[in-house]
Parts: sequence; structure tokens; C-alpha cells
Amino acid sequence: MRRPLSLASRLTLFFGIAAAIVFPIFGWVISESMERHFEEGDTEELELIADAIEGALSAVHSAGGLAPVEQRFDDILIGHHSASLYIADADARTVYASSAGPDLSGAAQATEAAPEDDPVRRWSDADHSYRVLTRRLRPGPIGDKDYIIAVAVPIDFHLQFLASFQRTLWLMIASSIAVMSLMGWIAVRQGHAPLRDIVARMRRISADKLESVIPPDTVPRELSALAESFNDMLGRVDEAFRRLSHFNADIAHELRTPITNLMTQTQVALSRARTIDEYREILYSNMEEYERMAQMIGDMLFLAQTDNGARKAEASVVDLDAEAHGLFEYYEGWAEERGVTLKLKGTAKVTGDRLMLQRALGNLLSNAIRHTAAGRTVHVKLAATEDGSVRVTVENPGAEIPPEHLPKLFDRFYRVDASRQRSGEGAGLGLAIVKSIVDAHGGKIEVTSADGRTAFQVVLPDQAVPEL
Amino acid sequence: MKILIVEDEAKTAAYLQQGLSEAGFVVDVARNGLDGHHLAMTERYDLIVLDVMLPDIDGWRILKALREAGGKAPVLFLTARDTVNDRVKGLDLGADDYLVKPFAFAELLARVRTLLRRGASPAFETTLAVADLELDLMRRRVTRAGQRIPLTAKEFALLELLIRHRDEVLPRSLIASQVWDMNFDSDTNVIDVAIRRLRAKIDDAFDRKLIQTVRGMGYMLDASGEA
Repeated sequence: MRRPLSLASRLTLFFGIAAAIVFPIFGWVISESMERHFEEGDTEELELIADAIEGALSAVHSAGGLAPVEQRFDDILIGHHSASLYIADADARTVYASSAGPDLSGAAQATEAAPEDDPVRRWSDADHSYRVLTRRLRPGPIGDKDYIIAVAVPIDFHLQFLASFQRTLWLMIASSIAVMSLMGWIAVRQGHAPLRDIVARMRRISADKLESVIPPDTVPRELSALAESFNDMLGRVDEAFRRLSHFNADIAHELRTPITNLMTQTQVALSRARTIDEYREILYSNMEEYERMAQMIGDMLFLAQTDNGARKAEASVVDLDAEAHGLFEYYEGWAEERGVTLKLKGTAKVTGDRLMLQRALGNLLSNAIRHTAAGRTVHVKLAATEDGSVRVTVENPGAEIPPEHLPKLFDRFYRVDASRQRSGEGAGLGLAIVKSIVDAHGGKIEVTSADGRTAFQVVLPDQAVPEL
Repeated sequence: MKILIVEDEAKTAAYLQQGLSEAGFVVDVARNGLDGHHLAMTERYDLIVLDVMLPDIDGWRILKALREAGGKAPVLFLTARDTVNDRVKGLDLGADDYLVKPFAFAELLARVRTLLRRGASPAFETTLAVADLELDLMRRRVTRAGQRIPLTAKEFALLELLIRHRDEVLPRSLIASQVWDMNFDSDTNVIDVAIRRLRAKIDDAFDRKLIQTVRGMGYMLDASGEA
């Protein structure tokens, strides 16, 4: 795909096009009206002359020709610079022609056929341009013959003036278009200055300085929404980034302990010869560490895939009480050995990924059993809520979790009791996995701990099709 | 039984070869895709263990070529990436099973045995017996040395699994999946507890202990009586 034109070029282009449309129209109107003005002046003058000539001619009554009024013609024409007169009879014979003027016979002939309502014409001979008025007098002053009079004024001067005016006008228009475009470009550049400023500020943001945000009141109003959403995004990135770096530190820490164990144990074992049984013992011990690490890696992969949607969920209707029953059977022996009873109340069905929901419920259940004292009971309650979603509660009696720990329970590698880190109860990812599965199903998980009971409450929407 | 291992990682290839040889299989190892392709196409194997990430010809192409040439040997593929796409692709191309690295050797062995057994049609059995232990599959009854032992349904299923895979080490994850249909790694010792309870019923009162713990790997029902 081609990269779209830059904003500056776009706006410059638009300004240029607008100017190129508006200014020529403006120029055309001006030059038209000037031409009209000149034409009207000429026409008025020509009509004055023609009227006067006609008046003079009306004084001619005899067949004595035009000689008596020729002096009058000159008088009339003298007031009008360079005007010339031509009179022909109906047979196109020249009756009179001004001595200094051009040969108007051609003009008279040409306009003879012209309609009477448009008697004024432009006419040119070899050297000059004229405006010519022709008028047919019928019947003519002499006899009953028609006469044609043609009056002409030279308009070379007007035409030259107009031409030079138009030249200047078009030059001005062209430069105006250029100036407008340039102004547009400058305006855009100026208008974009806050954007460039924001870009510069964004550029200064680096991973370790995510908090340098753009104050929304330091940018033009149109951009404050951009600044705000950018700040919001930055906040989320910052949060995710912080969690990720914590997570990295946690992983390093979690791996360091077993690796250290493996290394020292193996080094000590190799420092001198041992019996076969001793070697076997060391290998078994190593094996246990490996298994723990492999499980942790598996859990972390599961989390990563669930979180970024790489794990494809298969949605089906999951019978939660059947799943709970299955899990009860699975944990039965273990719970019995610990003296813990399991009780299930209610039924519920939900659309979701069966294996994922099984795992989530299983993790909650094993967590509850582990923290229940002998002789007590873990309750699992299933219920449909009014709005069609499903509520799963796993509740166990036991030591209350201090409130400051509650929000962090679902964090990866988080343990309430830091000293119980490696007492063989997994890597501290169990509840993180539960949360990630619930999130993938669009549900919510909450934990409360009060009055000697700890309860995990999962709410799954009815159509909890995992958004993966 | 002859098995081909196609694996470019030297250590993995070496331990797979050792482990499978010691389990009684004849094992060939190809350390790159080209050799693997050649061996798979020219030799007859009962099973092929195929790593899909190979430097030259990847496992998918070997699998595809084998199936196109009509090769029917079951293929178990190994992948480091546990993504649905990989699994679906492998199974679509005609693989029979897969394992995600890292995996337990016992798990691999159990799957290899299952795949090799698949060809042979199992006789319809109504009873299973090991030593003096007898399972009546129809009536779900267990007797040892003629003495009736009451078992819960899950205990019966667990014992049946162990007997059907007698002399094979069954990893805990496989037991959880086969008996309880639990397909996630639990961080509890649920399986150990279940085995302990089963033992209390079928082994404790007798001198010969049938259920053996294989440390670090899983459990095994010892039918040979050597232990």
C-alpha cells in the first residue's frame, strides 16, 4: 500500500486548489466588468454621435446631396476624439466618409445584416481596432432611399489597457495562489508544532522512565484526548512492565534454588568415590528437583499461553457438578487421610473449556483441602445467579489470611507465608492459573477471609466461551 | 520390536536410545532429518519417535513423506512448543501421539508401549490375573489367594490399569489421566495416597508385594516376582 500524503502536503494542496479556483473566478469577474464598463462608455459615445448625425441628416431635405451638412459632421465629430463617420446609401455606395478615419465601408457592409437590437460591434482593420455603431435610416433623408450610417471610435488604447491589466491580474493571481499555498504550509507546520512536541516527549520515554507523561493541559484542546489516552496506555504498559520485571525476578529466584541444590549436590557427590547406592540416592534427589522445575515450566507455559490467547479453548457445555464430583473422587483419599470432608451443594452448567475449568476447580479444591484442619469440611457451592451467570464458591475453614495478602494471592509465585516456599506444594502458580483460566472465560474471581473461613468465589458468565 | 529415533539433540538422542534399548527394544538413531528420512523410508520399523524441530528436514516433512509412501509405522512426535497448532498439524499429518518436552521417560515408555500394542487386537477378556491376584472384570470383583477383597470403583480401575500395564512403570500423570480423567499436574500427592490405600488392601496382608514404587518415575505392578 502506498503511504498516504503527508498532512502538510495535503493541506497545502487543498489551499492551492481553493486559491486556484477562487482567484481566477474573481479575476475573470473583474476583467469582464472592466471590459463591460469600457464597452458601455463607447456605446454611449457612439450613440450620442449617431443621434447627432441623424439629427443633422434630418435637416437635409433636398436632393442637393450631403454637402451642406458635411461641415456639421465635422463639428459633431470634433468633440469626440478620433471618431469617424461613414454614410452609404442602400446600394452600398459611399455617400460620405470621414477623411482621417478608416475605411468603414467593409464594417458597414458586414453589419448591415446584423440584427437591429445589437448595433454596436467590434471591428478591426489591418492596424487598429474600433467599436462601430451602424444604423439604418429608413427612409433616408434624401429621397426615399435607405441610408446606412456607421460611426466608429478606435479602442486600441482600451484594449491595450485591458490586456496589460489582465496580465497584471493573472500574475497577481498566480502569485496569490503560491502565497496561499505557502501560507497553508506554514500554518500546518505551525499547527503541528504541538504534535511534534508530543512526539519529542514520547521519544524521551524509555522503559525505565515510563512515568514521564504528557500533561493534558499543556497541549491544545484538540490534542488533550490524545494525550490522555496516551497517558492511560502508558500507565497500563508501565503496570504490565513492572509486573513482568517482577515476574522475571521471581522466575530467576525460583530457578536459582533448585539449580543451586542440583549443582552443590552433584559437586559434593563427585568430590570423591561413592557407593552405587549413594549415587542412586543422589540421582533420585536430582530427579525430584528436575520434576519440580519441569512442572513449574509447564505451569508457566500454560499461563503464558492462556494469557496471550495461544491456547485454543474448546467450548462445550460443562456440567460443573459432575466435574466437582469427579474432583471429589480424585481428592477423596488424600482429603480423607488429612481428616478433611468434602461437601458439594447445588448444580450448575456453564459453557466453557472443560479441561481448563476442571483444572481451575481442581486447583481451588486442593488449595482449600491443604489449608483445612483435620475434622473440618470444605464446602463447594454451585449456584446460578439472577442474571444467568454461575457462581462457584470454594470455602474452607482455617486460619484467616491477613487482608494485605488477599489482593496478591493470585499473583504468580506469591505465597502468604514466605518461609513455606519449598514445602512441596508447588511453585505458587496454582491460584495464578485459576485466575488466568477465569479471566479467559470472562469471569471474575474474588477471595474473602473472615470469621475463620476463607472463600474463593468465581463468577462465570452463562456463555463463558473463552475468548481465546 | 524395532524403533527409530530421529532427534538432533545429542544428549536427548543418547538417553532415549539407552532407555529404549534397556527396555528391550532395538533402537536406531538418526541425528539429522536427512538420515532420519532415509532410514524411515528404507528400513522397516515398528515405531518412529520423531523430533519435529530438526535443522535440515523438519519432522513434518519426514512424517508426510512416510505416510505418502504408505508407511504405516506408528509415529510419536516430540515437540518443544506446546501449541495447539503443532499438535493438530502433527495429528493431521498422520502422527499417532505426541509428547511435549520436557517429558518424563516413563511417560514416553508408556506411550511407546501403548502405540505398539495398538496394532494387536486385544482379546476380549473377562478376567485378569497376576500371580495369585485375580480380577473379574464383569462382576468387578477382586480376589487374592482366593480371598475376596472389596475395592471402590476407582481402586478397581487403578488396579486394572496397573495389571494391564504389568511390568511397565506408570507415571503419576498417566494414572491421574487414565483413572480419574484428571488431565492437569496436581501439586498434591493424591496418586501416592491412592496407591497407598490400594496397597493396604491388596498387598499389606501378603508376603509378595505386587505394587512397586519406582522412585522418581511412578508405579509398577511387578508380575515377574523378582523384586
